[in-house]
Amino acid sequence: MKFSLGSSVRNERRTDAIVSYGLLILSVIFALFPIAWMLSTSLKSEAEALSLPIRWIPKQFTLQAYGDMWTLKPFATYFWNSIVVSGVTAILSTVVGALAGYGFSRFQFRGRTSLLAFFLATQMISGVLVIGPYFQILAALDLYNTLTGLIIAYVTICLPFAAWMSKGYFDSIPKEMDEAGLVDGASRLQIFVRIICPIAVPGTVSTLLFAFLLAWQDLLWALCLVSIDERRTVTLGVAFLVGEFVIQWPMLTAASLIGSLPTILLYLFLQRYYVEGLAGGAVKG
Amino acid sequence: MHSGRTWHDRHFGYLFVLPATLMLVAVLVFPAFITLKASVTPEGGGGWHFTLTHYVNAFRDPVLAQAFKNTFSFVAWSMAGHFALGLALALALNQALPGQTFFRLIALVPWTIPDVVAGIIFRWVLNPIHGALNPLIQMVIPSFPAEFQWLSSPTLAFPSVIFANIWRGYPLVMVMLLAGLMAIPRHLYEAAAVDGAGKLRQFWHITLPGLSTIILIALALDMVWEFRRFALVVAMTGGGPGTLTEVLSTLVYKTYFQFFTFEYASAMAIMMSVVLFILSLPYIILVGRKQ
Repeated sequence: MKFSLGSSVRNERRTDAIVSYGLLILSVIFALFPIAWMLSTSLKSEAEALSLPIRWIPKQFTLQAYGDMWTLKPFATYFWNSIVVSGVTAILSTVVGALAGYGFSRFQFRGRTSLLAFFLATQMISGVLVIGPYFQILAALDLYNTLTGLIIAYVTICLPFAAWMSKGYFDSIPKEMDEAGLVDGASRLQIFVRIICPIAVPGTVSTLLFAFLLAWQDLLWALCLVSIDERRTVTLGVAFLVGEFVIQWPMLTAASLIGSLPTILLYLFLQRYYVEGLAGGAVKG
Repeated sequence: MHSGRTWHDRHFGYLFVLPATLMLVAVLVFPAFITLKASVTPEGGGGWHFTLTHYVNAFRDPVLAQAFKNTFSFVAWSMAGHFALGLALALALNQALPGQTFFRLIALVPWTIPDVVAGIIFRWVLNPIHGALNPLIQMVIPSFPAEFQWLSSPTLAFPSVIFANIWRGYPLVMVMLLAGLMAIPRHLYEAAAVDGAGKLRQFWHITLPGLSTIILIALALDMVWEFRRFALVVAMTGGGPGTLTEVLSTLVYKTYFQFFTFEYASAMAIMMSVVLFILSLPYIILVGRKQ
């Protein structure tokens, strides 16, 4: 009796494993097929990409498209712009967000709860609700067509997340650390910079990542706030390739893949932090 | 002396939250008010003239009605797809089978791609002549029409966009649900198995209740994001054919930045935001109650 129960459990386990593997293998095909098709196209010549019947694997591998994107189109400029915008956005939103997070975590000031709710509520605001007036403000300040205008927007969009995340992290650092500093006569700002920030550095990974990726992947703001080629980001540059009269598919697919590479690598290496942040921040609500 | 210190100290909090608050007000709240004001201002007219014409027009506008309908079905089908795929894969990944890490990383890949690129990928896969999907279907169903026009078909263009969005977005729901599954203590299942509860009953009585909070959060976040999705639609169809795949964000963008009818676009944006706010109320209340 006992033996038969054991074997039925084992059988059940095996069925589970078979079903799971089946599902997982299907998911690999589902996830990778469109990307594989893109990779294949990017390695073809223009003529081969348009030859019929279609070829799954290029007959003649060529890196032509991966060269053209830098020479025929200014992707080097786009990349530089994306790196500057995303990098500065990541750092600024983390710093400003950490200041706010520390304020929320350590001080019981009047209106604290309402202000926290306000921070969270701003996350519900759609880009298209505010981008028109923001565009006009930038134009009035001579910041239209500048990376600065983009960076200010991205930093602000990231702030609620950044503040919320760092508040959670600061909450986990004992208040006795601050009090020890106060006893030693340090100011609140000194305590924040010299004592708390060094401990909180690991907690900034998810915020840095969140902000960097948001800025890198955005299309809406870049599209509305930049009209000249020299200021375009990679995402915007790729989007403009689709809008061209004749789409050069090998170059478009090559540029898309290269433009996605930073986000793919960052996500895959750091996704643990990102998800913990997202799930944790939301759960702690 | 002591009370003086705490008074100062309490107000020090304002200094820390000030920069972030100012930025949020300057970049999000103030422009939102400008939009609100523009939405009740006569076209081209400044000053403080008040009119509801734009809202009246908006209610009669078939294109806006279409965009609302599209956005609702885009959000609903995307959420359903993300949830179904995400849950199935999270359950499979939670078995801790050999190769689990490999499968998890691969399943994450679509999510790591900017949604502009996701739109481009599917535009190319669905290309009627040179795309990969038609030949692939023909390998299974030889009678399938050659050069089938997915993205210019009035009936299939929008489902195609939704499909691409399901592909793009399921991994996030999957990882969140997986994190939730891993947090359910194993011994609950062992106890249930000893009591003779089958797999289905375990799923119903242990897994689902254990996941309920994270399911709610994942779906709420997904809803807010999909409601605003912009770049995928722009890159894949640009809203076409005609206005058949237009969603609210693409329509507001075009009305403002391509047709330059600022006041009308503002009214649309306000309506869109009000609807999104109402839809996310249950989530806001839930989070608020937890606080």
